[in-house]
Amino acid sequence: MSKYNEVKTILKNDFNIFVDNLINSGEFEVIGVKSKSERFIFDKLENSNQLRLYYDVTILPPKKYFLPPVEMLINFDLKKSSKPKELIDKKPRIIIGVHPYDIVAIEQMDKVYLDSQKDDFYKKRRDNTIIIGSDIQNVSKRSFALSMGTNVVESGFDLLLTDIGNKYIITIGTKKGKNLIDQFASVRESKNSEIRKIYKTRNSAALQYKRKTNIQKEEWSKYLAANFDNTLWEERSNKCLECSSCTMVCPTCYCYDVQDSVSLNMSEGVRYRTWDGCLLRDFTKIGSGEIFRESKISRYRHRFYRKGNYLRERYGFVACVGCGRCGTACLPDIADPCEVINELSQFDKTEDTNKYIIKEKTKTPEKGTIHIPQNATIKQKKELTYRETLFEIELDNKKPLGHKPGQFVEVSIFGTGEAPISISSPPSDKPVFQLVVRKVGNVTSKLFTLKVGDKIGIRGPFGNGFDIKAMEGKDIIFVCAGLGVAPLRSLIKHVTNNKNRKRFKDLKILYGCREPNEAMFLDEFDGLKMLDDFTCKLTVDNCPKGECWEYDIGLITTLFPKIDFEKKKSKDTVAIICGPPIVYKFVIKSLKDLNIPDKNIFVSLERRMKCGVGKCGHCQINGVYVCKEGPVFRYDQVKELPEALE
Amino acid sequence: MKPRVAFFDFSSCEGCQLQIANLEEEILDLINLVDVVSFREVMKEHSEKYDIAIIEGSIMRPMDVERLKKIRKNAKILIALGACATIGGINKIRNQWPPHNVKREVYGDIDLEGNPYFDAFQTKAVDEVVKVDYYIHGCPINRDEFKRIITSIVLGKNPEIPTYPVCVECKKNENICLFELGKFCLGPITRAGCNAICPTNGSPCEGCRGILKKPQIECVMEILKRYELTYDEMKSRCKMYNYAKEEC
Repeated sequence: MSKYNEVKTILKNDFNIFVDNLINSGEFEVIGVKSKSERFIFDKLENSNQLRLYYDVTILPPKKYFLPPVEMLINFDLKKSSKPKELIDKKPRIIIGVHPYDIVAIEQMDKVYLDSQKDDFYKKRRDNTIIIGSDIQNVSKRSFALSMGTNVVESGFDLLLTDIGNKYIITIGTKKGKNLIDQFASVRESKNSEIRKIYKTRNSAALQYKRKTNIQKEEWSKYLAANFDNTLWEERSNKCLECSSCTMVCPTCYCYDVQDSVSLNMSEGVRYRTWDGCLLRDFTKIGSGEIFRESKISRYRHRFYRKGNYLRERYGFVACVGCGRCGTACLPDIADPCEVINELSQFDKTEDTNKYIIKEKTKTPEKGTIHIPQNATIKQKKELTYRETLFEIELDNKKPLGHKPGQFVEVSIFGTGEAPISISSPPSDKPVFQLVVRKVGNVTSKLFTLKVGDKIGIRGPFGNGFDIKAMEGKDIIFVCAGLGVAPLRSLIKHVTNNKNRKRFKDLKILYGCREPNEAMFLDEFDGLKMLDDFTCKLTVDNCPKGECWEYDIGLITTLFPKIDFEKKKSKDTVAIICGPPIVYKFVIKSLKDLNIPDKNIFVSLERRMKCGVGKCGHCQINGVYVCKEGPVFRYDQVKELPEALE
Repeated sequence: MKPRVAFFDFSSCEGCQLQIANLEEEILDLINLVDVVSFREVMKEHSEKYDIAIIEGSIMRPMDVERLKKIRKNAKILIALGACATIGGINKIRNQWPPHNVKREVYGDIDLEGNPYFDAFQTKAVDEVVKVDYYIHGCPINRDEFKRIITSIVLGKNPEIPTYPVCVECKKNENICLFELGKFCLGPITRAGCNAICPTNGSPCEGCRGILKKPQIECVMEILKRYELTYDEMKSRCKMYNYAKEEC
């Protein structure tokens, strides 16, 4: 029983009056399960007669009231400089008839959306919603909730209804629920014989389950951890349509995309979020066009790992409640976790289940609203190369950004969107900060058209910066390839600052790019040459005829034999790499040849960081959120992640 | 300076332009945003000076090719409007037969030799003749998408056209899957962006926004088996808007 451990009995007729009272009170939007031809949906009730509490399963879960398929986040006006307005839905709502598995799913969503970084939109909806659950009477033929232990719940509802024939037993779960009963319902104390019938109803429903998993849900993670390269992923994904219907109907899938839209009068605009699905090819696509989960197998597999392993290791729950919706929605019928896990159960398992997440906890500071950017102004703009420009930005409140080297911000341009950009200046350059921007996508292209004095929005800083403490007293090798120089410049400027210099030993910078016209900050590197114990090596892959380049020519890895390096100092050397994905494998090999231990190598990885706060799901590398646990990682943390450095 | 926009029609019903004419009061916002210099359905003026050319219709004759190439040369941006222009659409159904058979079927034995108006070849989509910068899909187009694409272009942003199938929007609309109702729907392989208007209203998707990617045959067979549908039925559905020779 719930913590209130209080039950009441209500006659069915009185229950209908109760529902009508709620509707007629005008205090709430009353949602309930209604028929939609042969299926059922949660929808607004006009009267109690529309309620179908005998339903098996609804097409979409009640998630749509907490994270709607399309949800307006911010209103803005491109013609006026008025502050953007957050569009928080404050409507009080009652949802009647939520089945136990959906209640469990909502509790899971709470863990994700109300964790250290609360989602204010979700929170408001959640706070304003009263959940009246309903014990299952008819089991959907695809459901395996019994195996998941989600066919009954003891908490997570405000009230819970159990049909015992001509009456309902109402279990009171919260004070809110109790108040609702006191105010709107005519109930009486339940007799013991009636309470016993709760179990009878539940047991008779439990007997209806035909689909069962061969292994306990606690074991899913172990089987998944042992079978990442199993051929079953390929065999099954060959039949995948890549339509993401499975994630769309899932009560525990919560990934979203954010987009801007502007009216034809080019004035009013809105930033909204909409459900996204990891089965869709462009889910991991970044501004430059790179797709990180390129193969159908990897996308198909990701969904199951997320459900059974990644989230389980992070939050402690299996993100499947056995509702069976995905099995119904998937046309080729390959999405049903019950079938997949049963197929997996014939293979090996491993106890090493947490290898796809990062074990160390990273602290993300709690910040106010998560989608409203701070106003900022472009203070300076300097062209660095034919495609990169340096922007100097100041927050309009004149406060320093308060970042650490390695962190990033979301640059927001209303009407166009947001893009994650790493910070290129050291924390000491306050209150301004600098961003090196390559013109690749919509936001960066738009940014290039803006002038000094123009306004932009900034969210952040986000992510995990470099562990500067771990570098103190050590030699440091910076390996910057291409645009990778941008985030590393923040750290280089920090350690070479007179105030900090003595805390670090020998410094070596290796910087490579494709051609001389792509090289940035050469003057700054030249300026550092007078430092003691400092080496800087620059290279280009290729120098076209007629271009001037007075440094090395060759891939960045060809610089390693050219630096003085005593292997006995390997353990006291830290190496930091940042560059395009292709670079890591080769540079890491060079560093390992120098005997630099894995835990002394740091990498900064690029992914599609959309929300910046570990919710939208786009930047995941296996079970790791790059926006929270990265973008800076210690190599030993990510080397076993199959999706990290491929 | 407002961009100058001209509309052109080739083989089509001009229904997509009608969708734009049907913006009603919002058309005032449109003409505030851009200078419409040519739009046969709503004005009699015409100018050859334009930045953005919006093309409706398929390309069927040598004279169309010539005209289209001229338009491409004049325009900084060329937009294909509607299924006839973006994918060839229903005009491509006739590509199943040689052009002279089609002509004989329609016009009988009249001698059309040498008449350029009837000198039809196999139907082409606009991008089979000239480079297309942006696509506004659909039969007819979706007005909201048209507005989104035009505002994006004016804002200097690459309009985001869905690369995912109609199922995504269908699910968001909480529709009962038409396969469950025994209907064959092309939603799973058709580009979204229409907000699943047909399935939402009970009609299977006909694929007017173009097939995203042909699914693997294992997948198709699985679905046909599960819902007791035939391969021929699927093929004939695909022909409506997406006839392609190599697939037959």
